Amino acid sequence: MNRSLPFEIFRYSVITLALAITLIPTLWMASMAFKPIAEWSAAGADLTWWPKNPTLDNFRFIFGTSTSDLIVALDRTAGKPILSSLLSAVFGTLIAMGCGTAAAYGLSRFGSGQNLPLALIQLRLFPPMAVMIPVMIMWAFLGMVDSWWGLALIYGIVTLPFAFWLMKTFFDDMPREIEDAALVEGCSRGRVFLKITLPMMRPALASSALFVFILNWSDYLIALLLTTREWVTIPVYMASLSSSMTGQLYGAKAALGLIAAVPPVIMGIAIQRHLVRGLTFGALKQ
Amino acid sequence: MSSLATPEKISMVDAALDHDARSEDGGRRLGLALTLPAQVLVLFIAVFPLLMQLYISLTDWSPLDGIGWWQAHELWNGFANYTDLMADGRFWSALGRTALVMLVCVPAEFLLGLGLAILFMDDFAGKRVFYSIMLIPMMVVPAVAGYMFFMLFQSGGPVNDILSGLTGMNVSIAWLSDPTTALVAVMIADIWQWTPLMFLILLAGLVGVPEDQVRAATLLGASWWQRFRTIVLPKMKTIIIIALAIRVIENFKIFDTLYIMTGGGPGVATETISVYIYKVTQQDLIWGYVAAIALVILVALSILVSLAISRMNAGKEA
Repeated sequence: MNRSLPFEIFRYSVITLALAITLIPTLWMASMAFKPIAEWSAAGADLTWWPKNPTLDNFRFIFGTSTSDLIVALDRTAGKPILSSLLSAVFGTLIAMGCGTAAAYGLSRFGSGQNLPLALIQLRLFPPMAVMIPVMIMWAFLGMVDSWWGLALIYGIVTLPFAFWLMKTFFDDMPREIEDAALVEGCSRGRVFLKITLPMMRPALASSALFVFILNWSDYLIALLLTTREWVTIPVYMASLSSSMTGQLYGAKAALGLIAAVPPVIMGIAIQRHLVRGLTFGALKQ
Repeated sequence: MSSLATPEKISMVDAALDHDARSEDGGRRLGLALTLPAQVLVLFIAVFPLLMQLYISLTDWSPLDGIGWWQAHELWNGFANYTDLMADGRFWSALGRTALVMLVCVPAEFLLGLGLAILFMDDFAGKRVFYSIMLIPMMVVPAVAGYMFFMLFQSGGPVNDILSGLTGMNVSIAWLSDPTTALVAVMIADIWQWTPLMFLILLAGLVGVPEDQVRAATLLGASWWQRFRTIVLPKMKTIIIIALAIRVIENFKIFDTLYIMTGGGPGVATETISVYIYKVTQQDLIWGYVAAIALVILVALSILVSLAISRMNAGKEA
C-alpha cells in the first residue's frame, strides 16, 4: 500500500491512540490492585494514576491475611473461588475436548454424525439465559447445584461446539497418507487413531484445549445461576466483595480481577495463530 | 497390460479389496462409537430440556411452590404466560434496548476493526508487538472487564479525569447513574472488548486477498480506493458476513460486562433481554413465565436463522 511519510505518521498516531485505549482500562485495574487503602478508598476525591505507595495489601487481604488498614473481615477468602474456577474450567475443557475430538474424528474420517455440525452451531446460537431454567431444574435434580463438577459438566457442553469444530478442521487438514500406510500395515482403525493420529495432532489439541479453557474460565452467568456458596467461581465471588457495610472494596476487587485476567491473556497470546480459526468455527484459517 | 495380470496379482488385489471392505465396516462402527458421547450430550442439553421448558411454560410453576416440576400441571394455566408476555412492556423495551445496543456496537466494532486491520495490512516496525497488544481486550474475562469499566466510569474516575484534561473544565459526570450515559458507558465497554475480534478476523481476510490482482490493478493505475472497493471488498464478502454474524449473535446475549457495570440500572435503563430474563429468574422466581419468554426467544431466533440461511443459499444459486 501507501508508503509515504505522511501515511506512516498517520498510521503510527492512530495505532498509538488505539494501543492507549486498549491498555488504559487494564492498566488502571493493575494500578488499583497495588494501591494501599488510603489511595483507593478515596477514589472519588483524589485520583492518582500510579500508586504512590505500592503495596501487596490487597492481595494479602483477599487471601485472608489481615492488614492493618482494612478492618473489614471477609467471611471467606479468594482461595476456594480460585480453586472452583480452575477445577470447573479444567474438567469442562476435558469433557469438551474428549467428546469433541472423538466426534470430530468420527465425522472427518468416517462421515458419522452428519447432524452434529449444525446441531452444535445451534447450541452456540442461543443465549445461555434462554436455556437455563431446565438446566437449573435438571442440575438440582441431579444434586449438582453449587458444585465444581456440575459447573464442569455444563461448561463441557457449552464449549463442545468449539472443541468439535476446531478439531474437525484440524483433522480435515491432516494428510491421510500416514494413516493409510498404517492401515495397510495391518493396524486397526482404533489403534491408528490412538497411536498415530492423536500424537501427531498434539499441537492442534493443545491450542484447541487452551482456547476452550479460556472460554470456560471466562464464564460468569452460568456460575451465577448454578453456584450459591461453596463453589462460587472468581467472578461471582468478586461481586460479593462489596456490601452496604464496606462499600466497594476497589483494591481487593482489582487484585482479584488481575489474578483472573492474567492467565487467559497469556494463553490467548500464546495461541494467537489459531484464534481466528477458533472464533469463526474453523470457517477461516490464518 | 493384460499380460501383467497374473493369477497371484489378481488374488492380491482381491485380498486388498477384501481388507478394505472389512475396515470400511469397522470404520463405520468406530465412527459411530466416536460420535456417540457428543450425540448424548447434545440430546441431554437440547431435546429433553426443550420439552421440559415447553411443559413448564404452560403452567404457573415456581420453585417456591413446594411441588416438583413434573407436578407443574397442577398449576396449568394454558397460554396465559404467552398472552401476558405479549402485553409485557418491560419485555418489549428490553428487546428494543438489546436491538439498540446491537445497532450501535456491531457497526462501530466493524468499522473500527476494519480501519485498524487496513493499517496492519503491510509490514512496519513493531507490528507483531502491537498486534498482540491489540488482542488483549477480548481475552480479558468479560466480568473483569465489566469491573474495569465500572471503575473507569466512576464520577471521580479516569474517564472524567481525561475529559477534564481535554476540555480544561472540571468534568464530573455520574456516568452510571444517568439512564442515557449509563447506556453509552456499557456500549463503550462492549466496543472496547470486541473491536479486537473484528480486527483479528478482518485482518485475516485482508491478508488472504490475492496480492497479484491488487498489484495488477495498481499497475493499471487504479487508486487505493478503487482497488479496495472493486477487488478487496468483493473477495472479503464471506468473511465480513461471518464476522458480522458472530458479533450479532454474541451481542444479542450481552450480559456479563453490562450486569456488573450497571445491574441493568439505573431503573431499567440498561436492561437487555438477558438481564431481564435473569432478573425474572432470580428475583421474581416465576419460572413458568421465564420458560415462556425463553421459548419465544428460541423460536424467534430459529426462524430468523433459517431465514438467513435460506437467503444465503438463494444468493449462492443466483
